[in-house]
Amino acid sequence: MSDTVALSLPVRSDLLVLARITAATMAARADFDIEEIEDLRLAVDELCLSVVGGARSGTVRLEFTLDDATIAITCELDRRGEPDDGYVPAEPDDLSIRLIEALVDEHHRDAGTGGGRAWLSKRRSRVEH
Amino acid sequence: MDLTFEITEQVTGGVPVVSVAGEIDVATAPTLRDHLAVHEEAGAGVVVVDLLGVSFLDSTALGVLVGSFKRIRESGGDLKLVIAEPRILKVFEITDLVRVFSIFSTVGEALQDE
Repeated sequence: MSDTVALSLPVRSDLLVLARITAATMAARADFDIEEIEDLRLAVDELCLSVVGGARSGTVRLEFTLDDATIAITCELDRRGEPDDGYVPAEPDDLSIRLIEALVDEHHRDAGTGGGRAWLSKRRSRVEH
Repeated sequence: MDLTFEITEQVTGGVPVVSVAGEIDVATAPTLRDHLAVHEEAGAGVVVVDLLGVSFLDSTALGVLVGSFKRIRESGGDLKLVIAEPRILKVFEITDLVRVFSIFSTVGEALQDE
């Protein structure tokens, strides 16, 4: 069975916490252990930072999918219809890349609809009996 | 989940101790940067940043700490960190910053390391 939760947020730094709360809640419900939940909280934060970069406007669209024992999270910055404020998608910094690589099983990043898109997945280590 | 973010400061034996509580992310890291900038500009020799009350930090927080560390070191000082929570220490281990910062498990130990 698969569960999907979608979150749509205006680009605002104080709202990033909602992405972390959603990831942690889904992971807890899926019986991820405490360390894995903390890993996911940080990973989704870094995922969003890697996409949003220095954007000052737009909409951050997140999709959290729980499929069996794996959580996949997509984060996309939608800037369609936004005024041209000189925004250029920024490359994530080295610290952010190192964190994501260490915390999740898979991740990738592409241009999406022009604002940038990134994806990660993490599998629960605990085996169901 | 406690979303309170707070910074308190005290001076012990002439050393500023900046204590942070809550989550340090892209929304709150600028406040920490502003606090540390005051000590950088004042030319403080050693600054202790107490992260014992921190429940979360990300690469934005690391960037603030690394930037301040570099500026303080350039002026002959040092920025020391106090971390006890394994999940916070893990962030510094993954990024290899445990090799950059002097990290202590109590404020007292950081202050004694003079």
